Amino acid sequence: MPYREKIVWLSLFAIAVAFVPYFTYVAMMPAASEGLPSLRQLILYAVATGVQVVILLGGRAWLALRSPGDVRIPPDERDRAIRQKSVQTAYFVLIGGTILAGVVMPFYSSGWEIVNTALFMIVLAEVVNYSIAAFSYRRQA
Amino acid sequence: MSGKTLNNRIRELRFLNGEMTQADLGNEIGVTRQTIAAIEQGKYAPTLEAAFRIADVFGVGLDDVFTWEAAPEKGAEHR
Repeated sequence: MPYREKIVWLSLFAIAVAFVPYFTYVAMMPAASEGLPSLRQLILYAVATGVQVVILLGGRAWLALRSPGDVRIPPDERDRAIRQKSVQTAYFVLIGGTILAGVVMPFYSSGWEIVNTALFMIVLAEVVNYSIAAFSYRRQA
Repeated sequence: MSGKTLNNRIRELRFLNGEMTQADLGNEIGVTRQTIAAIEQGKYAPTLEAAFRIADVFGVGLDDVFTWEAAPEKGAEHR
């Protein structure tokens, strides 16, 4: 498996570990009643982001130690083509999320509900981005 | 659609050129071994520049490496 495909799977893993628990908890224990700012929500989000960063940094360091030569290889034309396709699709998810959280939701919602919807759409766009990249690497392997 | 597919003779040409490995060919043209494997299997269509680079490595013309041929009929291999 090429280095860049490993990075894609690592990124998906980090999102799953950090944000599936976060959004599950948020869905079960909404902070809408707590008002702004909600310290509980802020801490939860900080923990989720911290976990994601630690997994990404640790994973990249581990991969670099295992195969140091691969890290220095620049992305080739196939890597760039896969990235272009995945980012292009994720962009539309992000635009949809921006319209939902920034244009539609303020008419009927407020506070952390909007914040968490925006965060969810950002994470969803990232999941779409990495999923399409992973699928493309597998399909062309 | 024209019903044609892009085929190539890279595997054969590698063999004829001192059993060159996919990694060696990849190094020559600036792509990874996995990209050469994907091109050989017809799962990734290279850019025109990469195609010319591959032909250049083998010292042949582009149409000696890549061909644009009718796709085999479905189930033809089972006949």
